[in-house]
Amino acid sequence: MPIHDPGYRPWRGQSTSPGSRWLVVAHTGIQRAWRSSWLKRLLLLAWLPGASLGLLVFLYEQMQVQDDISARAIQGMVVNVLEVPESAREQFRDFGGVLARRELSPGEERHLFWSLLLLNLFRRSQPLILLQVVGLIAPPLISQDIRSRAFLLYFSRPLSPFQYILGKCSVVLFYSLLITLAPALLLFVAGVLLSPGFDVLAATWDLPLRILVAAAVITVPGTLLALTLSSLTTESRFAAAGWFAVWIFGWLLRATAGLFSAAGPDSLVWNLSLYHVTTDVAGRVLDPNFLAPGFGLQVVLLGVLCAVSLAVLYRRVCAPLQA
Amino acid sequence: MAALIELQGITRDYGNFRALSDITLSIHPGVTGLLGPNGAGKTTLIRILLGLAKVTRGSGHVLGIPLGDQLPRVRSLVGFMPEDDCYLHGISGIETLQMAGRLSGIPSLEALRRGHEILDFCGAGQERYRPVETYSTGMRQKLRFAMAIVHDPQLLILDEPTTGLDPQEREAMLNRIRILWRDFGKSVLLCTHILPDVQAVCERVVILARGTVRVTGSLDELCRTSEPSLSVTVGGFMEPFAAELGRRGLEVELRDERHLRVSGGAEESGQAVWESAVSTGSVIRGIEPARNSLEQIFLEAVGEVRRADT
Repeated sequence: MPIHDPGYRPWRGQSTSPGSRWLVVAHTGIQRAWRSSWLKRLLLLAWLPGASLGLLVFLYEQMQVQDDISARAIQGMVVNVLEVPESAREQFRDFGGVLARRELSPGEERHLFWSLLLLNLFRRSQPLILLQVVGLIAPPLISQDIRSRAFLLYFSRPLSPFQYILGKCSVVLFYSLLITLAPALLLFVAGVLLSPGFDVLAATWDLPLRILVAAAVITVPGTLLALTLSSLTTESRFAAAGWFAVWIFGWLLRATAGLFSAAGPDSLVWNLSLYHVTTDVAGRVLDPNFLAPGFGLQVVLLGVLCAVSLAVLYRRVCAPLQA
Repeated sequence: MAALIELQGITRDYGNFRALSDITLSIHPGVTGLLGPNGAGKTTLIRILLGLAKVTRGSGHVLGIPLGDQLPRVRSLVGFMPEDDCYLHGISGIETLQMAGRLSGIPSLEALRRGHEILDFCGAGQERYRPVETYSTGMRQKLRFAMAIVHDPQLLILDEPTTGLDPQEREAMLNRIRILWRDFGKSVLLCTHILPDVQAVCERVVILARGTVRVTGSLDELCRTSEPSLSVTVGGFMEPFAAELGRRGLEVELRDERHLRVSGGAEESGQAVWESAVSTGSVIRGIEPARNSLEQIFLEAVGEVRRADT
């Protein structure tokens, strides 16, 4: 046989598991998205808040070791720059607040402080960056496949529509979790490593689980909605416009409802802002004392959004095959 | 020889429109041409074979697997080259092929190696590293063909594989199809409008029209005339020559200025042709057993449906 034989050769290898084919869709999508320099810039930006909160964890843990006035001042300053939820304001009402007066045990205090940091990460900085990252990567994911008729490429192979959707969702979730779950978990790990001993895990064991659930609350509904919008058009710019419109109009609706105060916080109009609904529910997950009026309604709304998005998405993905 | 595809009474309706009506056919190993005018139901039939569309009525098997069952297995055994341009935006040809291989179950690195191997077989050069959306029609056609064979399927369904190719590339593509069957035993269902392609590579042919099977059989048998006849190429004095043959009791059909078909007297017709040529001073430039052309078979099959419509 020649060294380079350009003839056809049969393939007799071991096939991969049929259940893992969605990973191919996910891997290809992640690779394609990574080629965007804007995505890299946004990811870099997304990690800055986490890094700055990491610095606060460092300062806090230093304070635990050096219990002096300056450390308390730092602690008070830290508390003042963060968004303190309504429920915790009583505890943080003055300079240094409860942390300075040592009304809580060290374990409770640490849990409270770390929760506060995570709450800020999930409610203030990350959702805004997430909005942009998803707006950048999700719109072309399905719309371009429809336009370039790539469905035939996928579905003439051993891949089901469900696996296709799972693969596409994984692309968006991968980058979404990279800017929500990953910095939050790293923050927690940094806190544990900087703390005086590993016994802090006993007081804060629930935080990683809360981080997981909160990250899911922030990312999953948005992912499904963004992919649904992408599946509704062959032009990714329309899907992107729809994505940003949903967030902006929701926000404006919430602001208008707040101005006229005709509807209460547990009314439907008040809870049509995806930004507020997801961050409120995530806040409640991270801190059970976090006051989120209309929490039940918000959970139902997110559930309905996910179910409707998934149903539309499945129908749209199957539509070209039934034509 | 066991049939690769066996269909019994397949009917497919889209609302009130019947795309396929009571299709019963067997496709055996080899290269089979699937012909039919636009709207004949070829694409619907292919979709049913791949499990992309369900049947309204009827049953069948593809590679021994009942229609609609074990779809992942069927799709890993069948390679499909769609007529439509389909590609993934933003990735190169080799990446597309690697992905296609991985989707069919080839491990990642192996799929990359296999992708290069197949692109070499398809005659693709350095353009494999360019994004697919920058490809010419011919290169896209090659890539689609490569995607169909990357996982080494048993059965290939090729929808218009030579459309948009220049004569040289077209011949190369047909040659690849021949090699796949002749040297590697890959059966091919070739769906095309280009009849010379079918004549060049197919052993059998299925002609669909208005959702029904009009003609099916070996190309050799179909091209054989119903009664022995001769195709004669004549140089000069065509009319007296034809008249002389008629006087000798032979049936003469003038095809054009130089060609005619002679039938009737069976074994005697050959002798009669030569004698008539001598007596009329005509020159016989060629004489061979007459065969029906595929075009003629196709037009007759489709024409029957059109006549029935009018």
